[in-house]
Amino acid sequence: MNKSLIGDSMSRVDGRLKVTGQAKYSGEYKLPGLAYGVLVPATITKGTITAIDVKAAKRTPGVIEVITPFNFAGLPGFKPDAAQPVRGLKLFNDKSVSFNGQPIALVVAESFEKATYAASLVRATYQEEAFETDFHKNREKGVTPQGGKYKDYLRGEANAYKKAPVVVEQEYLQPSEMHNPMELHVTIASWEGEDKLTVYTKSQGVVSTQRTFSNAFGIKPENVQVNSRFVGGAFGSSLRTWPHEIAAAYAARLVRRPVKVTLTREQMFTLVGYRPFTIQKIGLGATADGKLLGITHESYSQTATYEEFTENSVNCSRFLYDAANCNTLYKVVPLHVGVPAPMRGPGEATGSFALESALDELSYALKMDPIQLRLKNYAERDPERNLPWSSKYLRECYELGAERIGWENRSPRPGSQKEGEWLVGYGIGCGAFGAYRGRALAKIKIMADGSVNIQSATSDIGPGTGTAMTLIASDLLGVPAGKITFELGNSAFPMAPTQGGSSTVSSVGSAVHDACMAIRQKFAALDGQSAEGPLDYVALLQKHSLPYLELTEESQSSEQAKNYSMYSFSAHFAKVHVHPLTGVVKVMRLVAVVDAGRIVSHKTAASQMIGGAVGGIGMVLTEEAIFDDKYGRYVNGNFADYHVPVNADIHQIEAIFIDKPDRYINPLGTKGIGEISLIGVAASVTNAIYNATGKRVRELPVTPDKLI
Amino acid sequence: MKPFQYMRPTDTPAAIRVKGKEAGAYFLAGGTNLVDLMKMGVVAPEKLVDINRLPLRGIEVVGGGLRIGALATNSEVADHPYVLEHYPLLSMAINAGASPQLRNMATTGGNLLQRTRCSYFFDPTMPCNKRVPGSGCGAIDGINRMHAIFGASEKCIAVNPSDMSVALRALDAVVRVSGPAGERSIAMEDFHRLPGEQPELDNTLQKGELITAVELPAPVFTKNVHYLKIRDRTSYAFALVSVAAALDLDGSRGIRGVRLAMGGVAHKPWRLGAAEEFLKGKTVTEDNFRQAAQIAMQGAKGYSYNQFKLRMAPNAILQALKTAAAIV
Amino acid sequence: MSRYTDKPAEQSGPQSESRRDFFKKGSLLSAIAFSPGAVLRAAENKWDEKIADEWEKIPVSLTVNGAPYQVKVEARTTLLDLLREQLGLTGSKKGCDRGQCGACTVHVDGVRVNSCLSLAVTNDGKKVTTIEGLADGENLHPMQEAFIRHDGFQCGYCTSGQIMSAVALLKEGRTASPEQISEFMSGNICRCGAYSNIVKAIQDVKNQLS
Repeated sequence: MNKSLIGDSMSRVDGRLKVTGQAKYSGEYKLPGLAYGVLVPATITKGTITAIDVKAAKRTPGVIEVITPFNFAGLPGFKPDAAQPVRGLKLFNDKSVSFNGQPIALVVAESFEKATYAASLVRATYQEEAFETDFHKNREKGVTPQGGKYKDYLRGEANAYKKAPVVVEQEYLQPSEMHNPMELHVTIASWEGEDKLTVYTKSQGVVSTQRTFSNAFGIKPENVQVNSRFVGGAFGSSLRTWPHEIAAAYAARLVRRPVKVTLTREQMFTLVGYRPFTIQKIGLGATADGKLLGITHESYSQTATYEEFTENSVNCSRFLYDAANCNTLYKVVPLHVGVPAPMRGPGEATGSFALESALDELSYALKMDPIQLRLKNYAERDPERNLPWSSKYLRECYELGAERIGWENRSPRPGSQKEGEWLVGYGIGCGAFGAYRGRALAKIKIMADGSVNIQSATSDIGPGTGTAMTLIASDLLGVPAGKITFELGNSAFPMAPTQGGSSTVSSVGSAVHDACMAIRQKFAALDGQSAEGPLDYVALLQKHSLPYLELTEESQSSEQAKNYSMYSFSAHFAKVHVHPLTGVVKVMRLVAVVDAGRIVSHKTAASQMIGGAVGGIGMVLTEEAIFDDKYGRYVNGNFADYHVPVNADIHQIEAIFIDKPDRYINPLGTKGIGEISLIGVAASVTNAIYNATGKRVRELPVTPDKLI
Repeated sequence: MKPFQYMRPTDTPAAIRVKGKEAGAYFLAGGTNLVDLMKMGVVAPEKLVDINRLPLRGIEVVGGGLRIGALATNSEVADHPYVLEHYPLLSMAINAGASPQLRNMATTGGNLLQRTRCSYFFDPTMPCNKRVPGSGCGAIDGINRMHAIFGASEKCIAVNPSDMSVALRALDAVVRVSGPAGERSIAMEDFHRLPGEQPELDNTLQKGELITAVELPAPVFTKNVHYLKIRDRTSYAFALVSVAAALDLDGSRGIRGVRLAMGGVAHKPWRLGAAEEFLKGKTVTEDNFRQAAQIAMQGAKGYSYNQFKLRMAPNAILQALKTAAAIV
Repeated sequence: MSRYTDKPAEQSGPQSESRRDFFKKGSLLSAIAFSPGAVLRAAENKWDEKIADEWEKIPVSLTVNGAPYQVKVEARTTLLDLLREQLGLTGSKKGCDRGQCGACTVHVDGVRVNSCLSLAVTNDGKKVTTIEGLADGENLHPMQEAFIRHDGFQCGYCTSGQIMSAVALLKEGRTASPEQISEFMSGNICRCGAYSNIVKAIQDVKNQLS
């Protein structure tokens, strides 16, 4: 290997398919005899279904079947008390309603139009009960989650911040935020006989989906074939198998035809998770020269009554800054709502907004530069676990970002700078996210013509997994990228973990790395030569009359890795314009500087960073799913009234990578960027808004009404 | 979507005849609002009369003014050279609404008939007097952040979502309609109505009437105009508050004429007559604009979630006037 | 041309009218709920529905990507569902089905529209271009090339709509500045956040052409 290709700016390997409309997403497989399933949502928030009138629906032309709790035969593998139940299944299995929008029936018909219309004719009668969806009213009912993972944390003295010379104590509100991937959640299920199931579904994890179907229907995992080759975004909404996916398979078995169930955009607000409504209290105490004496972080987060959802919103406060005293508390508040799901950057993004806002408030209280305050409390090792970092270049992130954004132009006095009629402000927000590596397998095959095929049951929800894997293989094998195909999204391929937690390159990339190295050895061994130098695969195969060589390699984290604390780190810098009369905010520039270890594919990684920043801009400026607690329903549960950023919301965004390998996490030295790209963005913007206006907005999103 | 009978007449009298006075019959033009409402189950026509092939698409200079065919798309109007030059306010307002694709589909007549975006109206499981008279108003004690601050009633606090209509209101447009009883003209002022006791009626069209054109009087406000729309994101969102401001200035910055109308604040495009009166004959100063904005707010009433509009609206009026007058 | 435009409007109704009456009077379908034996078997075979189904449909001729199509659709079928479910042209995407995202953007008679809000029947006689019709055989359209070059997408789901919008944008002449491009591309939502790369791709093509 003479020249390292890793880090090259290669265009996406699946680009041509995507720009020509040929990339086939899960709902686009035209199976013979395909029937269409449409879910009927509950229109009450809590109670019991006493009857469902399906007569009108069934009389509608083209209706094949209507499935309700009154004719649902159950799932063979569904045991509510088993160790591996179909998690939180709210699907026809009982007649209780736990949230508005819960599926109470599935209409299967000959066409989408027919199924949709018939679904509108299904009438349920309910025994309604009082419900609670008002977070504020129920906050005190918050409970510590089950299991030990989320128990209260204490280092040193609790609430030590209160005794410090300079104190900040504030609450921050993160409203519910929806993943809203562009692709509607969809599943096509098709049975061959009683025990063989093929599924095309929007999934971040074909292997875990295979396991869920296998459990639900009591069939062998190898008899479940899950395909998810192209996924139109997910951001966490496809980390698990949802009830509509099970419903499609149940219906397909019942009507003995392939069935496609597509959620509507409106249904995606209630049926595939969301970033939960969370209120956090931060207490910071510091000496007059800015040394943190105590950090307290308390978080109250919404969950469902029928399933507990948890995330790491308080964790960053334990290790991001060096403070002798730190305590955190995390409680969940069960409400009559659908269950949340991890959304990009998950709890860490929520937590970082609170912590980094409070730190900014402290900087003004101290009359200290926010970067200086962070440097003053820089954690040289992980204070939570008392371990060295595997790598940490956050200091470099501060320096590079400050230089790039023009931090020297920032005025320490809020509301003192203008460009034209716009107020100008600068802000910083930081984040960290665990650098994970899971067990993964990859199969590699080198053919007589020198072409390479690699398979692994990972997914690609958009970051460019195939591109990164191709670059890794190209680099290690010395084969041009054009001769390599990487296949994913098929549960029959060698096992890979679900695409989530910024870990795909670390996990699957390591498997590809190990597979490449192993096959090099295998080739080298043919002639007893060294695997170090260049290898002529074609000549070797020809010489030994072999059609191909192949192998499957398993890869996982080393024991040594446990001696280190592993995180990706980010520092986001924002320059905002705020209009003093209209309250309109423009994020004129956002500079994201990231220590994510070595970067494998610069072009796609930069896009992923920019995309995370756009997600962060949505979180901070525009996104909020609003409930009417009188009805327990969203009032803006659609793509027009729930505002994800549009093109005109985005100005200049720059991604800068430290690009230094982490020596301990994996053979590639990568740490992951999916989450870190978003974590810290919100605070960088609200902090910049404060700098521009002197107005501290602690409740997201910062819509114009909050600044006038 | 409920099945319906589809008809495609080719001349206007036929269209009016086949639709007749049937409550279940609807004209279909661009479809951007109606098809959506049908998908959501808010309306369920028995019969759709597709009027897209009627000869109502032309934009012509007539006399001193402009006649815009009811089927002229929003894009065709906004991009029309004569509109850009003589009625720039209309062009700006149209381009502030929806998206380029929707503006390519939506028609002038359809835009005038756009239903409210009130979430209680759009959700058939919620009470709404506009959708189901007598079912109650979900918004009045509900999440009313997007709702009216002027002219609302106990029955309905919804707002008209159109941007185009705000400009048409400011420009004193006239709506031409044709119906079973013949043709007539309706001034923009009288076209949309306040909710009162009958929020189910958005406008004063009679049963079976079809909008055939919108007429604009001779152009006056060709230069110092601005359409300001404040929204939750930069584009492709409905207004929190919008302002159409048009000034006719003399050589010494005296205000010869002024038109002011707002969107996002009432059940109809809201003309700011008193503020116009105040400004007429005065000169362009920030203070005069500020006072006009305060005058415009007389009679405004906020609800639990839209109190901010009481601050945002005068700010928006001030900003729109400043921009129109090119004061920075 | 379809006979619906050739004949007076009143004559276009009867077919759907009789189909509707058929069900309204409920002769067969409501009867089967109570009838045993032969009638029930007839209903199970769904003969009535199959006949009704055909009656319900309206013939539409349209050109898609240069190829003529003669299809029969229900009046309520959208152009998007016709393309995706009947013609197998799944390049146009469904992201909201309500004109709120732009993933379904196609050109009708050269103008970009949201195909999810356009009833298929209203497109009788029109020329539709979808993402599948943009390339010239193996040669990609310059906009497709530019989207690859500038990485103007990630998951790819909004991409067809973005490219169809971008191609129309050039024709509309809304490319004077990055701000103007952004504003006039705001009818196409990209949740992966590829907006700045999309703007670069469009500028690139614009510069190539000028």
